Amino acid sequence: MLAELNRILGLAQKLGAEYADARYVSITQEPISVSTDGAPEVSVSRSTGLGLRVLVDGAWGFAATPYIDPRSLEKTADEAVKIAYASALRKKGDGVSLTPLEPKRARWQTPCKVDPFSVKPEEKVEFLTDVVKAAKEIPGVFRATATIMSYREEKQFMSTDGREIEQTIVHSGGSVAVMARGEGDVQSRSFADYAGGGFEFVESLDLKAQAEKLAQEAVELLKAPVCPTGVTDIVMGGSMVALQIHESCGHPIELDRVVGQEATFAGTSFLTPEKKGSFRYGSECVNIVADATLPGGLGSFGFDDEGVEAQRVDIVREGIFTDYLTSRELAPMFGQESNGTMRAVGWENIPLIRMTNINLEPGDWTLDEIIKDTKEGIFVDTPKSWSLDDKRLNFHFGQEIAYEIKDGSLGKMLKNPAYTGMTPEFWNSCDAVAGKDEWRIWGTPGCAKGEPVQVVHVGHGAAPARFRKVKVGVGA
Amino acid sequence: MIGKEDALKVLEKVLSFCKGFEASVTLTASDLSLTRYYDNHIHQNLRRHVQALTVRVVKGKSTGIASTNLLDDGSLRWAVQAAVESMEASGEEKEFPGLPKPEPVQEINCYIPATANLKPRDRAEACAVVIDAAKARGLQASGTYSTGVREVAVASTTGVRAYHVGTEAFFRTIVQDGDNTGYADRLTRDVRDIDPQAVAEEALGKATLFPEAIELPPGRYDTIFEEYALADLIRFLGMIAFGADAKQHGRSFMARRLGEKVMGDNVTIWDDGLDPASLAVPFDAEGMPKKKVVFIENGVARGFVYDSRTAAKDGVRSTGHASEMRGSRFVPRPSNMFFGTGDSTREEMLRSTKRGLLVTRFHYTHCPEPMNVVATGTTRDGTFLIEDGQIVARVKNLRFTESMVEAFNRVEAIASTARLTRDWWGTFDSVLPCVKIKEFSFTGSTMF
Repeated sequence: MLAELNRILGLAQKLGAEYADARYVSITQEPISVSTDGAPEVSVSRSTGLGLRVLVDGAWGFAATPYIDPRSLEKTADEAVKIAYASALRKKGDGVSLTPLEPKRARWQTPCKVDPFSVKPEEKVEFLTDVVKAAKEIPGVFRATATIMSYREEKQFMSTDGREIEQTIVHSGGSVAVMARGEGDVQSRSFADYAGGGFEFVESLDLKAQAEKLAQEAVELLKAPVCPTGVTDIVMGGSMVALQIHESCGHPIELDRVVGQEATFAGTSFLTPEKKGSFRYGSECVNIVADATLPGGLGSFGFDDEGVEAQRVDIVREGIFTDYLTSRELAPMFGQESNGTMRAVGWENIPLIRMTNINLEPGDWTLDEIIKDTKEGIFVDTPKSWSLDDKRLNFHFGQEIAYEIKDGSLGKMLKNPAYTGMTPEFWNSCDAVAGKDEWRIWGTPGCAKGEPVQVVHVGHGAAPARFRKVKVGVGA
Repeated sequence: MIGKEDALKVLEKVLSFCKGFEASVTLTASDLSLTRYYDNHIHQNLRRHVQALTVRVVKGKSTGIASTNLLDDGSLRWAVQAAVESMEASGEEKEFPGLPKPEPVQEINCYIPATANLKPRDRAEACAVVIDAAKARGLQASGTYSTGVREVAVASTTGVRAYHVGTEAFFRTIVQDGDNTGYADRLTRDVRDIDPQAVAEEALGKATLFPEAIELPPGRYDTIFEEYALADLIRFLGMIAFGADAKQHGRSFMARRLGEKVMGDNVTIWDDGLDPASLAVPFDAEGMPKKKVVFIENGVARGFVYDSRTAAKDGVRSTGHASEMRGSRFVPRPSNMFFGTGDSTREEMLRSTKRGLLVTRFHYTHCPEPMNVVATGTTRDGTFLIEDGQIVARVKNLRFTESMVEAFNRVEAIASTARLTRDWWGTFDSVLPCVKIKEFSFTGSTMF
């Protein structure tokens, strides 16, 4: 395929492109699910094609095609260049310039013990059938669903800068969701996690044990009182901390959002350029990194879709905001090189600045110690709803479950919990983060951004944490 | 564009590969052209052809699914074989009703050559109109202009044969004056309906009206919602409450309340996939014809949308609302919602408001309490205070948290005109009027 990529780059240059990059991508996905109210759903899909990005007269053009015959390559190059000429009608100043890159040939592959596609669908169905059976055995459960996702992306990238990169990215994951129905109420509990890796990750999740626990909690939630509204301390489970990082840190540090490139859909950011290096984003125990090199991370890779090496970057250090996620086009705003976060979904989309693994570094508490140290508050876990304003300041997050905390102990279960706040105040109220033993990378396969929308896989390292004086309750 | 003849030819070929099995094949294709701009210049500009062929093979009560985006014989045979292997792994579903039998499908002309043939330069020039208008006022414009051709074809061994092609164009802009922003969009099948100058003026008007934004405390306000905002208020009803699966699972607030009064007398909401005022498609992902379904009639809960599976369970016919979930079962969802118009106007609503708010649109809405359809989200791109019948100030954005069922019991006025409107996420394209709701609940505020 490198020959076809080389050919289309040559065609683009001949038509006037001063820079071009091309990606040939083939994605295979096998989602398998088993529900208690129907037969297993087994399916497999493949999507293959080529995307070409060109710079002509300092303006961008992009075209994509599923076909790679000579005629389609010529048509795609012609379209991309014509589109770039149209963009030049209203280009910025002297046009786009990119940070330089040295020529390089490289290969990268997700470390993977058991190829998830080597496990037969029948075995996966049997595995999942056991999981939903464990949930269904709990009286009061009316529906349980469990899934396994296997994903392989084979990608070849070539640019006129002389970068030739081949990557094989493998992701695996699983989930279980349980619903219990009472008089005029339905309560759900769920667990899901995904990683860069093979079927060994799915086996490590112990979905069967999760299903039993979740089923008991879903049934119990039906009788639980509604989480009261008010201001109190909250202790968050790791999956909820992961979502909080994703929405209130991961998105606002995307430099394309900061400059306004996503204003019409995803929004902009309160982390404006003058804040870099001095803004107190959180308390001193808040340390956040973007790490695309983390083994097992769902946001890990070898090279981004501009051919830039994956990197580990400090984002917040002892509470101070230090850096953005950047691209070859936008990094020069701060006199920097790209930190390698431009990613496209599939072959048919342009690369955008995307989260990698955005991680809250572990602290030195345990969850038990945090709860024992909390006089009054609530413990919340598992995201149920999420909503933020278009600068990512005001947020409102709902959870599946909560427990009252009184005098250092967990008390009664509460249903329909939620909390709301403003991002910097919230992170500045963080005074305890659990340590390495309770820290894990949560895979988030549904991060959406861009027009047309691109849904990318990202990761978040997180551990339970405490936040003081937070507004809680759905209507707070 | 693939075209009707070639699309159906591909489907026939796939069916011919399905020896010894029942099968249903769906082909979707999209030619999308899209230009984005920000800070008064174009930064993204693309064209792509995306297609997906999905095969569902059936033997007895077992099904298997596979999809490919390539249409050569080798890829088609691979998809059939992969679907068969999936079927063999999946076991039987006791309640599977079998593939639906064909029903007559109405043809609707939704293909507008002017939209399909719009050139990159035409899009760039339309964007330039907004950019130049903003620049002339010292402001910044951001926006998107997309045009596309969407095709869908369905064929099955039970005799279903359906094909539809439609165009659509979406032009939207945000004009920014510091923290103050204004929004406008147009969604249509025909690019000739889009007047970039009018879009620019609407957004500029909102961005520059009352430059100093005031802070308002959270509370209940009589609120006028422009069509853009109403799109996000009905979004969760469509996602959570109006599908027959939600009824059967007991997840919809209407599940046990059909025939009961659940909203105000003046609220009527329905789905009509054949009405040309919407982006109509005459059949669903199973090739079943769309039927008009009334969800709420003068406040009374009336019905749900069905696909063939949920219809069989309730002993009724599919309403033609199977929604494609690639690699999974179909789910029944609304496709073209309408909110019944009233006899008011936006200006009359303003004049009748002693103290209240005007909301242009919402951002990032979500649903923390699905049973009561409690939605939350923040206002953006133009929120204004109304006093004594007039807009008197720009307001810093507010967060609402409110049950949509309760809110639609307090609708005070509905405009006599409606327009095709897309919610912020693009979940639904609905035909909606401007409405006024009494004592709408705002629970928080933000800093801009």
